[in-house]
Amino acid sequence: MDRRSFLRTSAVLASGLAALAASLSPLRKLDDYVSLERFVQKYYKELTPEEMKQVLKRIENEVERQYGIRPHVRDLKPMDGVEYVYALNLTRCIGCRKCVHACVQENNLSRTPEIQYIRVLKMPHGSLDVEKGEHNYAPESVPEKGFFYMPVQCQQCKNPPCVKVCPVHATWQETDGITVVDYDWCIGCRYCEAACPYWARRFNFTQPSIPKERINPDMAYLGNRPRRQGVMEKCHFCIQRTRVGRYPACLEVCPAGARKFGNILDPNSEVSYILRTKRVFIQLKEELGTSPRFFYYFDT
Amino acid sequence: MDQPSAEDDQRGLPTGYQQRPHRMNSRFKATLVLRGLVVLFVGLAAAFLLNLWGRPAPLHPIPLVDPAFLDTATVRRSYADLVRAKEDLSDFDCYACHEKNKPPVLRYDEHQNLLIPREHSDIVMGHGQHGRNNNCFNCHNETNLELLQTRDGRQVKFADSSQLCGSCHGPTYEDWEVGAHGRISGYWNRSRGPIKRQDCVNCHNPHAPPFPSRPPAPGPHLLHELAEAPVPAATAH
Repeated sequence: MDRRSFLRTSAVLASGLAALAASLSPLRKLDDYVSLERFVQKYYKELTPEEMKQVLKRIENEVERQYGIRPHVRDLKPMDGVEYVYALNLTRCIGCRKCVHACVQENNLSRTPEIQYIRVLKMPHGSLDVEKGEHNYAPESVPEKGFFYMPVQCQQCKNPPCVKVCPVHATWQETDGITVVDYDWCIGCRYCEAACPYWARRFNFTQPSIPKERINPDMAYLGNRPRRQGVMEKCHFCIQRTRVGRYPACLEVCPAGARKFGNILDPNSEVSYILRTKRVFIQLKEELGTSPRFFYYFDT
Repeated sequence: MDQPSAEDDQRGLPTGYQQRPHRMNSRFKATLVLRGLVVLFVGLAAAFLLNLWGRPAPLHPIPLVDPAFLDTATVRRSYADLVRAKEDLSDFDCYACHEKNKPPVLRYDEHQNLLIPREHSDIVMGHGQHGRNNNCFNCHNETNLELLQTRDGRQVKFADSSQLCGSCHGPTYEDWEVGAHGRISGYWNRSRGPIKRQDCVNCHNPHAPPFPSRPPAPGPHLLHELAEAPVPAATAH
């Protein structure tokens, strides 16, 4: 081989290798997508308390690196003797959508693209057919004459179709009735989204984006810790609030007092009283047999 | 063997070139291809490093929602709220203008509608349909204007106004006591912390009780409209 052809061949080889290296360069940021600790992490239900501590620390570090805020992440377990029920008073709801945005703020939902757990339907009087619902209403002021408003979110079914279809058991029903998602176990197949008759599940098609100043640092593992691209999420009755005894964020912001939440096993709770005394229009799409824990009702 | 041709090979290229022009042509081609490959590879490397493809189209950021929509404050503030916040209570200082022990005289037009004096022009009377509840002293105490009174004569302080409401709206009051009517915040689990229950007048104007209408928060934005145009603050239909 003469000198010239040697130089030529090595130039081709060198540039080819450079191109190959450059094409693999995104691997340098692999840690952003999956850290080794997360990759080898065990299933949520198999984690020992010690391992859980490590996991929570890892999540805190990851959130701090990504958003510049040190969060407080907890793993909250269901309380004994508690089964959550939500009751929503359709006579009171004025359709102001404050619950939608309080939920986004509380649960660290992506702002661009937009992910919202609650969808408020504007429905004509005289029908409960959700097909007649309209969610893009934007009048000067609400409520509008001749309409009522029906916020729809995860119904926390007793017989949840989304849990049945999950091929990896990344979503399950807890003993207090909340159906949760382990965002570190979800493979993003979206079967649950297809199975849900209430359109309650949301998929992260892109990396969610949340401005730093709108991060809620009070987080829970099965609750509002930031999600990543390619996983499902859904309403979890504000686990980080309700499992320490507080009301969910959507309830506290409702200006009309249309939202009621509590423990159905406690006969003195508001929800027990409501289900006993009010005209409860049982559950949304009750004919499907999902048996929601979310009740819509009317009063005077 | 042909001597001259062996010499040709030993002497190298020029003779061969003259004798077999196609051989140089293929070398020339090889040089071109290799140079082309170098350019291509360098270009690819640059493209990979700059991540020219594989990057999704940038999304127009959706405007953040006005923090006013995240506010958990009530629609109105009750007398108790004003006292707690140490704010201006002059609206409740009746005897700054009225005389004690001299009940104000109510005036009506020919249809028995209450004529509201200029000093109270901020009050809109709309309690009860068809102007039925048109007597100030159905709720206010005639002799002591700084008190309220129920229709059976019980005297009630401004701070306890919900009891007055309950003297007519019994079932609603019952719901309110349980927590089924009106706003509650704090702890559903009473053993973990306190609750805050709002008074009737935190949401209802006692002179015109229907819940006021308000502008709705922005509706949902579609994902595919993001790549096309900046989104207006309020969604279009």
